[in-house]
Amino acid sequence: MTDLSASVEPIVSARGLRKKFGGKEILHGLDFDIPPGRIYGLIGHNGAGKTTTLNAMLGLTNCEGTIRVLGEDPFARRAKLMENVAFISDVASLPRFLRVRELFALLSNIHPNFSQAKAQSFLTGTDIKPDMKIKTLSKGMIAQLHLAVVMAIDAKLLVLDEPTLGLDITYRKRFYRRLLEDYMTEERTLLITTHQVDEIEFMLSDIMFIRDGELILHMQMETVNDKFTQLVVNDPGLQAQARALGPVYEETRFGQTVMIFDGVDRAELEPYGTLSTPTLSDLFVALMQRPTANPEPAQ
Amino acid sequence: MKAFIALVRREFIEHKGAFLYGPLLLVVLLFGATILAFTVGRVDARFSGAMFTIAPLRIYELSFLGFGIAWSLYLIATLFFYCADGFAADKRNNSMLFWKSMPVTDFKVLLSKLAAAITILPGTVYGVALLSGLLLYGVAFVTTMINGTGSFAALGSIAAIYGHVALAILVTMICGLLWYLPFMALVGALATAIGRWAIPVSLLLPSIVAMLEWVTMGGLHPFTTHTWDYLGYRTTFPLTEDGYIDVWFLGKEPFSAISYATDLIARMDWAQVGIGAAFALACLYVASEYRRRSNANG
Repeated sequence: MTDLSASVEPIVSARGLRKKFGGKEILHGLDFDIPPGRIYGLIGHNGAGKTTTLNAMLGLTNCEGTIRVLGEDPFARRAKLMENVAFISDVASLPRFLRVRELFALLSNIHPNFSQAKAQSFLTGTDIKPDMKIKTLSKGMIAQLHLAVVMAIDAKLLVLDEPTLGLDITYRKRFYRRLLEDYMTEERTLLITTHQVDEIEFMLSDIMFIRDGELILHMQMETVNDKFTQLVVNDPGLQAQARALGPVYEETRFGQTVMIFDGVDRAELEPYGTLSTPTLSDLFVALMQRPTANPEPAQ
Repeated sequence: MKAFIALVRREFIEHKGAFLYGPLLLVVLLFGATILAFTVGRVDARFSGAMFTIAPLRIYELSFLGFGIAWSLYLIATLFFYCADGFAADKRNNSMLFWKSMPVTDFKVLLSKLAAAITILPGTVYGVALLSGLLLYGVAFVTTMINGTGSFAALGSIAAIYGHVALAILVTMICGLLWYLPFMALVGALATAIGRWAIPVSLLLPSIVAMLEWVTMGGLHPFTTHTWDYLGYRTTFPLTEDGYIDVWFLGKEPFSAISYATDLIARMDWAQVGIGAAFALACLYVASEYRRRSNANG
């Protein structure tokens, strides 16, 4: 793992973060720092502990170990923390009985950092009108509205847990483009979890892979590009030689053998075939093989 | 404070069906039925017949007070269901995570629900009750004018009666809400944990506690325990026999809201009201800790 502890004060800092549900440990002592101004992707299988980690950051659950967000204990000081943290944990969580204008009016009074004017401006060009009841909006419109709400909050940390779940590709692309263009600044930190890793890869500055409650990868995207190499090799003889260099993952696609290497010099691999940087989803598949899910160990 | 008021307001928006539209619909139905009864002649026997000639102003007092009792019953029922439903609504509506993303504590959210239950929600029903009284008086007055038993000179007296009865209903409502506050908080706290199951559980709870006392402390049967006696006392609104209402009902004096309110306030056990308020806050605190710790994604 790359040590990201820089001289700047981290936005999120976790040490020995553990969580048990009914005797079963879900998080096994996570240690990480998230510096400000970064866009993080927290990626893992269902049940890997992503949402529990996010809940710990957002003060929604109590954990063993230490976690600080903006210097505060999130579980003890959630209400105070939410002045500077915004999150979408579920696109369907907006109160459905409200009209859009009622929602904005309430938030203006409830949240000191919410700007009604900004929220309205983010809805310009959409089909969402102030008098519409939220329960009448489509899933995509609700996602747009929720994004407008969180973007209108002047927060230092924005956490998005599967924010585009169930949306079609058009909405998903628009959602992330809007987030990048209209919201992200150097002072803000964004943390996203999603299963559609390829769709957020372009915007990430850092990734964290979580597997069975443990962080198995935490590094900047530049480092990922330097560290991991994908090799496509066809010749069986060359395959055997390449295999000797210890790929972390190997599979056959359409008759071609694809290997992913961790920390092997590209010059060393070059003679065996075509080299490229693995996509995040390839890397995800490579690193997330679980003995329980795959009886055969990852090659 | 601004945030708290906004949270109370959202309770009103969420539950205005039960506390505004429902009562308004009832008023419309009632008014429509009255007009219909009047047009088909049935009203004659009740309003313009002997009753108005015997004691016209007493009928105004009694009818509006009757309305007040009816609206109080409606309010008790809706507040009970509000507490059992409204305190669990965020979870049921899947909006818990949204409200938890706001910079307000769980205690403040629950307190706003209870505050709504004793302010804006009953206040709305009270407003509708006043409107229903106004319509009732309108119909009665027009009826008496048509049949010749009424006069415009009586308008001042009718307005005074309206004011007295309105004030009496208001005082009764405020005292009732304060008196029953701990029960509302208990039902709300239970609903925070078990949702709408709070309805049967809160009805069973007194029997269970009395049963436990009987089992552990002894006694003839669970309904002769201290718990049962105390709950019996605490569930009875202190507007009992030999009060102003009885005296007024049997006498000939016009209804006086001041005398009624003075009598009611004197009959209230204010120490119990204070204990009840402390109990209500304790219930809310425990419920807010449960809400804070419960799985918000669940």
